Amino acid sequence: MAAGALMGVLAPYGGCGWSCASPSGPQGVGGGEKMAAGWLCRRLCQGSAFPVSYASRILQNQCFFQNSNLVGVRLAGSQANTEGPKTNPLVSISDEPETLYKRVSLLVKGHDKAVLDSYEYFAVLAAKELGISVEKVHNPPKTVERFTLLKSVHIYKKHRVQYEMRTHYLCLELKYLTSSTAAVYLEYVQRNLPEGVAMEVKKTKIEKIPEHIREPIWDTLPQVEETEVKS
Amino acid sequence: KGDKAVTYEQAHPPHYIAHRKGWLSLHTGNLCGEGGAAERTLEDAFLRRFLGGTFPGCVLDSVVLKRRGNLVVLSAVLSRALPPHKIYFLGGYTETLLSHFLKCPVRLDLQTLPARLPYKYL
Repeated sequence: MAAGALMGVLAPYGGCGWSCASPSGPQGVGGGEKMAAGWLCRRLCQGSAFPVSYASRILQNQCFFQNSNLVGVRLAGSQANTEGPKTNPLVSISDEPETLYKRVSLLVKGHDKAVLDSYEYFAVLAAKELGISVEKVHNPPKTVERFTLLKSVHIYKKHRVQYEMRTHYLCLELKYLTSSTAAVYLEYVQRNLPEGVAMEVKKTKIEKIPEHIREPIWDTLPQVEETEVKS
Repeated sequence: KGDKAVTYEQAHPPHYIAHRKGWLSLHTGNLCGEGGAAERTLEDAFLRRFLGGTFPGCVLDSVVLKRRGNLVVLSAVLSRALPPHKIYFLGGYTETLLSHFLKCPVRLDLQTLPARLPYKYL
């Protein structure tokens, strides 16, 4: 439910991803009250490969607005209680052990430092809400690509124009995640990436030491009697 | 002299871009290590001409284009020359046509003003 409340509170970048045609969005994470809007959203997204029209998007916005008021309100005697334990079709439980990540590092690149600063606040807040420990947040130095071109079309070699493109970076390092936590966090954070900002993710996996190098070899091999070799 | 009205966008030369001006087209093509800048620029030019043509004489100032993932958001400021039902029709028409043409969701955010906002008079 924390993620559902989070989506109601933090919508700074306008929920861009809702209109993308992707069926496995974080729409099923909200509670029962949002199921209807989630279903409607999924239906609209899957029904047309191209975007929804004005009217249906306005309807979608209205549905979201009404349902966000209901989060946290207990609907006494509503029909939802009679169904028994709710099984969310988008949540799958599997028995295989999850891959663990020692470190997940996000490198966010952008042209505008102010946009990156506000995105840093958003991502750190989201990690804290989901209970992910943030190891380090730092700004690697910016890279500037400059080129000097001739100002005029024909001659005038001595008069030039210089252009430059600045790329600012933001590095977020998260400690000790499970694969499902990482999937949820990355999905949320990537759906709300602002325009003109790119992200690269590097994950460091923790694996068990393979069987054949667990014990040192000199303990496992049988004792060999030493024979003297006369040269 | 002193009667030529100039908007904020037009009044500032390009060296003010990250300082007093923002960007008109936001995409990741020009970042270090990212590609596709030429395709984005071509699409931007096409979109600006298309919008200039569908809203004839109505577009005040430049259109802001934003790309978030697959989605293209066009934010335009229009003058109130056309009646509202025609503006709504043209908006829906551009959205569906451009999304079929570019094969990605296109969203149009419109705002109307009575006239062009002057920043200063040259």
